[in-house]
Amino acid sequence: MIKITDLEKYYRTEEVETVALNKLSIEVKEGEFVAVMGPSGCGKSTLLNILGLLDDPDAGSFLFNGIEVAKFNERKRADLRKHNIGFVFQSFNLIDELTVFENVELPLIYTGVKAAERKKIVEEVLDKMVIMHRRNHYPQQLSGGQQQRVAVARAVVNNPKLILADEPTGNLDSSNGNEVMQLLTDLNEQGTTIVMVTHSEHDARYSHRIIRMLDGQTVMENIMV
Amino acid sequence: MLFNYLKIGCRNLLKNKGFSAINITGLAIGMASAILIFLWIYDEVTYEQFHEKKDRIYEAWNLASFSGELHAWNTTPKVLAAAIQKDLPEVETTTRAAWPQRIQFAVGEKKINASGQTVDSTFLQVFSFPLLKGDPVTALMDPLGVVVTEDLGRSLFGSTDVLGKTVRIDNRKEKKITGVAATPPANSRFQFEYLLPWADLRTDGDDDAYWGNNSVRNYVLLKANASPASANAKMKVLKPRYDKEDPNWQMFLYPMSRWRLYSSFESGKETGGIIVYVRIFATIAILILLIACINFMNLSTARSEKRAKEVGIRKVAGALRGHLVGQFLGESVMIAFIAGLLAVLIVVLSLPGFNRLAEKTMRLPFGEPAFWLLLLGTIVLTGVVAGSYPAFYLSSFRPVSVLKGTFRKINALITPRKLLVITQFSVAIMLILSTIVIRKQLQYAQERQTGYDKAGLTYMFMTGDMDKNYLLIRQELLQSGAAASVTKTSSPLTQNWSDTWGIFWDGKSPDDKTDFDRFSADENLAVTAGLTMVMGRDFDLSKYPTDSTAMLLNESALKTMGFKDPLGRIVKDGDMEFHIVGVFKDFILGSPYYPTKPMVVEGAKRWFNVIHVKLNNKNSVAASLKKMEAICKKYNPQFPFEYHFTDEEYDKKFANEQRIATLSAYFAALTIFISCLGLFGLAAYMTATRVKEIGVRKVLGASVSSITSLLTKDFLKLIGISFLIGAPIAWYCMHHWLQSYPYRTAIEWWLFALTGLLTAAIAIATVGYNAIKAALANPVKSLRSE
Repeated sequence: MIKITDLEKYYRTEEVETVALNKLSIEVKEGEFVAVMGPSGCGKSTLLNILGLLDDPDAGSFLFNGIEVAKFNERKRADLRKHNIGFVFQSFNLIDELTVFENVELPLIYTGVKAAERKKIVEEVLDKMVIMHRRNHYPQQLSGGQQQRVAVARAVVNNPKLILADEPTGNLDSSNGNEVMQLLTDLNEQGTTIVMVTHSEHDARYSHRIIRMLDGQTVMENIMV
Repeated sequence: MLFNYLKIGCRNLLKNKGFSAINITGLAIGMASAILIFLWIYDEVTYEQFHEKKDRIYEAWNLASFSGELHAWNTTPKVLAAAIQKDLPEVETTTRAAWPQRIQFAVGEKKINASGQTVDSTFLQVFSFPLLKGDPVTALMDPLGVVVTEDLGRSLFGSTDVLGKTVRIDNRKEKKITGVAATPPANSRFQFEYLLPWADLRTDGDDDAYWGNNSVRNYVLLKANASPASANAKMKVLKPRYDKEDPNWQMFLYPMSRWRLYSSFESGKETGGIIVYVRIFATIAILILLIACINFMNLSTARSEKRAKEVGIRKVAGALRGHLVGQFLGESVMIAFIAGLLAVLIVVLSLPGFNRLAEKTMRLPFGEPAFWLLLLGTIVLTGVVAGSYPAFYLSSFRPVSVLKGTFRKINALITPRKLLVITQFSVAIMLILSTIVIRKQLQYAQERQTGYDKAGLTYMFMTGDMDKNYLLIRQELLQSGAAASVTKTSSPLTQNWSDTWGIFWDGKSPDDKTDFDRFSADENLAVTAGLTMVMGRDFDLSKYPTDSTAMLLNESALKTMGFKDPLGRIVKDGDMEFHIVGVFKDFILGSPYYPTKPMVVEGAKRWFNVIHVKLNNKNSVAASLKKMEAICKKYNPQFPFEYHFTDEEYDKKFANEQRIATLSAYFAALTIFISCLGLFGLAAYMTATRVKEIGVRKVLGASVSSITSLLTKDFLKLIGISFLIGAPIAWYCMHHWLQSYPYRTAIEWWLFALTGLLTAAIAIATVGYNAIKAALANPVKSLRSE
């Protein structure tokens, strides 16, 4: 599903150039659950942003389902993103002014789904995430675990092929964290490919494979049994 | 999607009540000001637009040279109409209108003074003043007829069914009502309650065929396909054909479309007129609206960090930049819509006051779809203008930056937000400085010595039997103690009713065409008016019966005539000879903004229209007026007692400048208020983003005053730059404006200093509140919150 080859990314300021990704090559197959680990600044979030088409590489190749997307323009990227990729962030990133229902509904609006159908899909997803009873609440009225479940619901509502999770349990206690990890595992078992950045060995154990990074390069891969 | 945008827009409005209130209030005040100004402009540009034949109607104007200067004016001889009709084949018809007059209408015991004009029988065919009753073709043909408005008819008879009824005019002639006209629209130069037929003027012996008597307005209706240029070519040479006295005297036809807005002439050329104010006020309206829009832009972008996360999430969820631009524009249009409704409410509430100020009867045309379309257009345009910059700015955020928290506000030397604040305050400074200069000019002219004593000086127009009984009235006024002195004059001391270049004296150059103000008085003019005699004496008929042909000069007239020893010298006015008995110091008869003209005051042989009464200061004004009323009623019982105070009438000379000064003060105040509203909001957000910095500084020992100054000085720098931009522009505009007043004030340095200090003080007061609040906050709290 994903094949990146010799990917490079630099961050430049007036005085200094930082290498975030250094000729990185990774492959993720459809249906895989991959965890990316490494110390802060090793480039794992940069990798996730490029995989999510939120950022573009400076060099290298990025094949998504066999299509070269590294040089896609903003419109093409947005189109690919909204139909294929769901995001889960550490800090949930829900819109405070929208209710739980409306937050989850958002991606469907941008893919042009009709209102009646949207309602049906959102209710199904909320049901699945066991958050239906909170559908009319605002994010501030929810616990961290509930907020992350809403974020996961929003990530999956468009039925994406790929979910990118950036430290999804980073802001949660262990009980809520486990709940979210179980949700991701269930989604993966239903066929969704998952790439997750994490600092937690515990969370990484939910994945099929762990990619360990250092200074913008892969240093080790562990296959989980 | 639209519903989603509206929903989130509403929630944002409610969530950020302070921000919303500032934005909506600013926009509403801006829009209300713009609506009021555009109502005024609409009223001005639609003057006379209701006449069906407006494109074919012209007014005859003179164009003649005096003392080397070309003058254009629109009072022309009565005899002109017939000559135009005869010599200009392009003309369909002509019509004349005499000066408006106030006369008494009586029905039984009911007496009403009404204003109107004597006009030609064709008047109602040229101009579109529909008759509700009567035939417009014949209504003004009957010498014994009169056309009244329905309002006057109702006031006289209690109903509008008055056609054929009889009224008594000025207690001396009976007239039959031959037409009932609708009340003329307010935006017309013709504001009449009655129209008398020209034949009435003829009956009174007031018609004449003298080409030198420029005393009426002549109007021309061209034929449908006639060429105005061809008609004007014939007008140019018309007068010399009939009047050999002045072969260079030209005339021209001036189109109706230019009467109201452009009819100010200098050296025979159009120099503007009300159109100048239309342009100034239109600019002010746009600037005020722009300033309100700038508030919106500034506050929206200042809050960008709050909205950045939403932008990031929406982009991650698949939103394109266009979606987000649409969303933010939608929000600003929604705010503009709420502000628009509030603006209409403000206009409804303030319109009566604005009408009083502008001396108009404007109304909001709620019944006209065009008004609603225009309002909606203004709202959408305001929303789009206000929302454009924030929409493109906010939608440009990169999701990676905002979601990972690496998004930082811009703090460059020049940012669009700083430019917007500078724009706002440049305009505010321009308006403040302009207002101060206008006020100073007004005060300068008001403080000018009038040359006579206005205190306790009243005057009455002579109506009915007052002229016949004048000596009795004067005697009783003096004997009763109501008056200290009384004189009879040709016009009020505040108005110039007559001028002439036909004054002759020994030694006058044949080329000298000096125009003299012409005034007349019976006696005691100097003592009644408080004139200062510099030579000779006042008129005194009891001592010098020959004073009926005596003449007084002002100093300017003496200078023009060049007499070393003027007393006893003979001066001719047309066929009449006068001998000079005195010279007085110049006094202001016409405009207080112009130098006084040479003036002759002719003795009792001349005509009189006004009685001036210097009230006796030993009695109260009220007691003196009561006595005056009793005496006037005794000798002129058919007419009501009406009087005027000279000082009040003199003040009316400043009405135009007073109005401009008041309007500009209001607009300057509104501009500064809206700007400060925005500045307050901006300062609040800016301070909020520096909470951590303030906390750290306080922990390190910074005082309240140092933090307050830190937070205020950035804004003061912007005000300083605004001053450097706004002040020269204001100076240029005001310098140009003052050139139209020969008697004018100077724009001195302290005006700039005052404006700068005033603006800085207002800005400090606005920003200071937030700065002091932030400086007094507990640093532990602010650091913890970070």
